[in-house]
Amino acid sequence: MIFGMWDATYFHLGPIPVDHIIVTEWAIIAVIGLIAYFATRNMQVVPTGLQNAFEMIIVWTYDFFTQLMDKEHVAKKWAPVLTTFFLFILLSNYSGLIPGAARIEGFQPPTSNWNVTMTLALITFFSVHVAGFSENGMHYLGHFISPNPLMLPLNLLEEVTHPLSLTVRLFGNIFGEEMVIAYMLFMVPFFIPMALMGLSVLLGAIQAVVFTILSASYIAAATGEGH
Amino acid sequence: MGIALGAGLAVSIAGLGGGVGMGMAGGKAIEAIARQPEVGGDVRTLMFITFAFIETLTIYGLLIAFMLVGKM
Repeated sequence: MIFGMWDATYFHLGPIPVDHIIVTEWAIIAVIGLIAYFATRNMQVVPTGLQNAFEMIIVWTYDFFTQLMDKEHVAKKWAPVLTTFFLFILLSNYSGLIPGAARIEGFQPPTSNWNVTMTLALITFFSVHVAGFSENGMHYLGHFISPNPLMLPLNLLEEVTHPLSLTVRLFGNIFGEEMVIAYMLFMVPFFIPMALMGLSVLLGAIQAVVFTILSASYIAAATGEGH
Repeated sequence: MGIALGAGLAVSIAGLGGGVGMGMAGGKAIEAIARQPEVGGDVRTLMFITFAFIETLTIYGLLIAFMLVGKM
């Protein structure tokens, strides 16, 4: 199982095999959805408790993305997608740190699988182009031949490299961290892996932030002027 | 034997380059924040983006190492 493949297919949903990764993703989506549901039930003008916390997070993310992307309406439009990326990746990364997760067969952070990170990167890829076209219209095509048409192949290559590097960065980090912890557990069963797990709490958060910030900056570059 | 050596070299050379680059970037960022603390937030964001780019290259080495170990 060197590439983290348990090969635990539970059942088939039509032609799609449902394995442990998809089930973990469903669990994460359910957790986020339930918290959001309870936070937004009977909302009040003067917020209390969970609603208060959520309003704080939303205002903070809007401010953050506005500062990062320069254009306020673009930031307002894309902040929900980007914040969802952050929450989903954060919970995915942390799902491998649940005590005993390494002992249960089929328990593995979804982000330590190629397919999941590739999906997330492709969502970013399409978001970037949709954002570019909706903001600049057909002028967006001009940025492929800037500064001059000779750069067209390089610009096209760049569009492919962006999702590829997003994929490999997230996958490599989380998978590498999981593998290092697994090897450590194999060599020294007690105490020493704890330091690495503490480090991977930090790493998981940083990777979630990095993916979000990079997606935001790609969208900002596509919607910006001067292209 | 050769594969093991290759895996070790892949991750160590990638780590070497990434470490030097990150050290330079981080040091300059801290210098900038120390000189102008009011732009700390912006510099920090840019620093993390830079780190992410540098780190990707190191991660490529790590992935190659894992692939090689898988072939052993």
